[in-house]
Formats: sequence, C-alpha cells, structure tokens
Amino acid sequence: MKKLAREVCILGVGMHPFGKFLDKSLKDLTRVAVWNSIRDSGIDATLIEAAYFSNVLAGLITGQEGVRGHVFLRDSGFQSIPIVNVEGACASGTMALREAVFAIAAGMYDVVLAVGAEKLYLDDTARSIEAMATNTDVELMAGLGFQFTGSYAMALRKYMKQYGWTQTHFAKVASKNKKNGSMNPFAQYQKPLSVDEILHSRLICWPLTLYMCSTMADGAAAAVVCSKDMVAKLARKKPISVAACALRSGEVTGEDDGQRRAALEAYDMAGIGPEDVEVVEVHDAMAPGELFRIEKLGFCKPEEIGVLVDEDFFALNGKLPVNPSGGLAARGHPIGATGLAQIAELVWQMRGEAGVRQVRGRHQMVPKVGLAQNSGGYVEGVSAAMTVTILKC
Amino acid sequence: MADLPLKEGLFVQPKSENEKPYLLGSRCRVCGYTSFPKKEICIVCRKEATMENIQLGSYGKLDTFAVMQVGPPGFKVPYIIGYVRTQEGALVFAPITGCEAKDDALGVGEEMELVIEKVKQDGKGNNLIGWKYKPAGKRK
Repeated sequence: MKKLAREVCILGVGMHPFGKFLDKSLKDLTRVAVWNSIRDSGIDATLIEAAYFSNVLAGLITGQEGVRGHVFLRDSGFQSIPIVNVEGACASGTMALREAVFAIAAGMYDVVLAVGAEKLYLDDTARSIEAMATNTDVELMAGLGFQFTGSYAMALRKYMKQYGWTQTHFAKVASKNKKNGSMNPFAQYQKPLSVDEILHSRLICWPLTLYMCSTMADGAAAAVVCSKDMVAKLARKKPISVAACALRSGEVTGEDDGQRRAALEAYDMAGIGPEDVEVVEVHDAMAPGELFRIEKLGFCKPEEIGVLVDEDFFALNGKLPVNPSGGLAARGHPIGATGLAQIAELVWQMRGEAGVRQVRGRHQMVPKVGLAQNSGGYVEGVSAAMTVTILKC
Repeated sequence: MADLPLKEGLFVQPKSENEKPYLLGSRCRVCGYTSFPKKEICIVCRKEATMENIQLGSYGKLDTFAVMQVGPPGFKVPYIIGYVRTQEGALVFAPITGCEAKDDALGVGEEMELVIEKVKQDGKGNNLIGWKYKPAGKRK
C-alpha cells in the first residue's frame, strides 16, 4: 500500500475567475490566484519554501515556452525559492499539487505553493484550437483532424450502445452543472440553461451539443499546503488534509484505461471506499463525460447511471453531489488551472464556505470527505495522465 | 505542389490496383501486443528486442466514431474520425471516408478497409497523404 510518509494539509486556496480576459497576462492571472490563496491561508508569504507551477500552452499561445513558473511567479513576488514547472495537459493542476504534497511528505519543506495558470484566449482562435490539439501524439493525431470533443463523443457512443445512456441524460447533466455554475462567482458561464435549451443548441459532434462542451478560458488557481506538524502554528481556518493523491498514465492493454486503477490507488491510500465520499469534482471537459468518470470512480455501475441521473442523484442536493462548482463546461477550462480549481471547490465545500451552492454530506453536515478526478491529454485512445485526489477533514 | 506523406515510415501505398495498402506496425513475440505505429519496446513486457515489425491494418472493425461538425483549419466539415481495431489487434485512429458524413451512415462493429489518400493540404499547396478507413464492400 502506498502511503504519504507525513500528513499534509491545505491551508488556503484561491482563484482568479475563469473566463475571457484579453487585457490580462499570465502574470496577472497568476498573481491574483496566488495572493488570494495566501490571504485565504492567513500565513506570512515569506514562509513559502518552494512552488510547483502548472501550465500547458503558454509556449504556443504566448511564446513563453521555457521557465514559465519562474517568470510568472517572479511577478507574484517569488525569487530564490525552488520553482518546478509541471505539465500533464489538463491534469497538470493536480499533478502540481501532488508534487507539492510529496515535497512536504518527504520532509524537505513545511510550506509549499501549488499554482496553475492558463491563458487560452488570444485574437487568433484557430491558433488556440491548434494548440489544444497538441495534447496528443501530434505525429499521429493532430494532423488527422483529432479534436477533444470527438474523443468524448467516441467514448460516449460506446457507453450509449452498451448501457442505454441517452442524449437526454447528457443534457440533464449539463443543465445540472450550468445551474451549479450559475451560483459560482468564479465560473465562466453563470447562466442556468434548461435541458431543452441544451439539447437544441448547435450540434458539435453527436451526441454533444454546444452547451454540453467547455470552451477556451483564461484563469488561475492556487493552494498553500503545509505539513501537519506546522498546522497548529499556522492554520487560521479549518485545515483540510490531503488523504490521497494518485497519478496514473494511460494504459492500452488489459481491461481498463488506468482511470479505475488511479481511483483504487487513491481509495487505498486514503483508507476509504467510494461509499465514504460526500462531494465530488470530476473532469468533464464535455459535461456528459461526468458520467463515465463517476462510473470509473466506482460510485455506481454503468447500467445504473441513467436512472440516477433521472433521480437527480448527482445534483447539489442529491445523495452524491458531483461538480458543485459547475464542472469544466460551466466553470470554464483554462487547462493548467482546472485541477487546482477543483481542489479550491472541495476546500470551500468542506469548510462550509461555498455559499448558495454549499452541499450537505451525510447527516446534513458539511462534507468531511471530498474527491477530485482530473485527467489530461490523449494517447492511443486513452487519457495520458489521470489523477484522483482525496481530501479529508 | 506534390503528394507528400504526413510522415515517413507509417504506411505503404500499393503500386498496382491489385495490391492492398497496409500500415507499418509491430508485434511482441512474447505477449502478442500489437501496435501502430511500430514500437521498438513492448509497453506490456518492457523488455528489449521482443518487438518485430509487421504489416497490418488493411482490414478491421470500426470500434467507435464521431461526426465532427466543427473542424480545425484545413478540414472541411462535416467529417468523420474514428478508431478501427485491425484484424491483427491494433487500435488505429483515422479519418473515415467512403460514406456520407452522417451518424447513421456507419455502425460500431462495421467491417472497414484501409485507404491511403489525401488528408489535407499544407500551407504550400502540397497534398498531405495519410491513412483513412472506409466501409468495406462499398466502393468510394
């Protein structure tokens, strides 16, 4: 069994809102998220001993290919401390958190920053779309018309055929998430949409319609993590423990793609099962993807999902609230920032700070166990990098 | 302006009408793992010198597909992308051709046949040649 050698807690989280910010640079986005997380933690920022910086496409979008974290964090007031750049496409954010947690668990540091920032909007949309398609084996995929919408549509087509999932189920999931997003001040889209509006929006690639899909976004998110030993001295708010942070890479042989393996490893690390989880954030770059994530995480069998969607099982006030933030399709998907935005949402939910979108766990209490599933890239038909992070308090 | 392969060393285009095109892949002598494009090291065994080059992909079954209504530069919409499980067991991503770009024009599990043809043009007007699949038994 894999275990952290030392307990690690999240002291503070912060975001720059996700959306279209043509007048803001990656330095601006980074600085706002970093200082929101520091303010939230209440610590003196000079205590931060190292930083892990997640970004995916700054090289192609802005030309800043090298030393990204070093450049962007310098503008946030960080010099001298070790800065490590982390990249694993859309999973980069939670991969950066995982490295920050490991650095503390290894005993090297007591206070570490994990940051994710991404800028996808520029005046040239075609360039942004082409940059996104580089999160694959570009020799094999990008030149042949591959798009991430298509990868979700191809996976969903198989689930529909095998388990009876319908396009209406998908629209219900998207509508639920748009409603959640409408209550999230950091979300790119804060407009609730009905099942009909979603079903009748423009077809992108069947079964996906426009309002089921995430679009480009700019944004940033950050977390201040600290050793359990220092929590008593530093914590101003309820500390949230990182009980597990599993990472796997795509598998193309055997029965699964690695996502289920990542989940099992995380449950094992945390010493819990899926039945103990009270709030979930999953990676749904296209909202219906939420359903195959739920299935792979072991929350239900794939053939049960249609009924559970119809019963609002995954709604804000359902038995297992999924994507209370609105998920990627409503919150927006600045790819290197997404994972840490998931973590920020879980922390807010587990502290009882989520305002009108606050969920209730067992016994109508603030949730004590939260899970974030984040995945990125696409190799040989499966996600390249997959993380499952479990938080406890 | 010329016909150029998308990348060298991935496929063979027949010289005559009677020959079938094929892809250049590999298979592990120990475990049977089959790959396109060819790999030097088996990702199942992770040992040296177990992979041997094979020809594959002339025929297969459609694993799944999507009809894209929005495309990147150089692609005329709608167009179809899909995965084909070749007779030899490799999973190959490819554009799908030889049928209408509609969801009811194809079925998962359908028999497919490899074609080598123009995928798109590059910035200089050269035709970039790559691999595609079409429904077997239907002539384009």
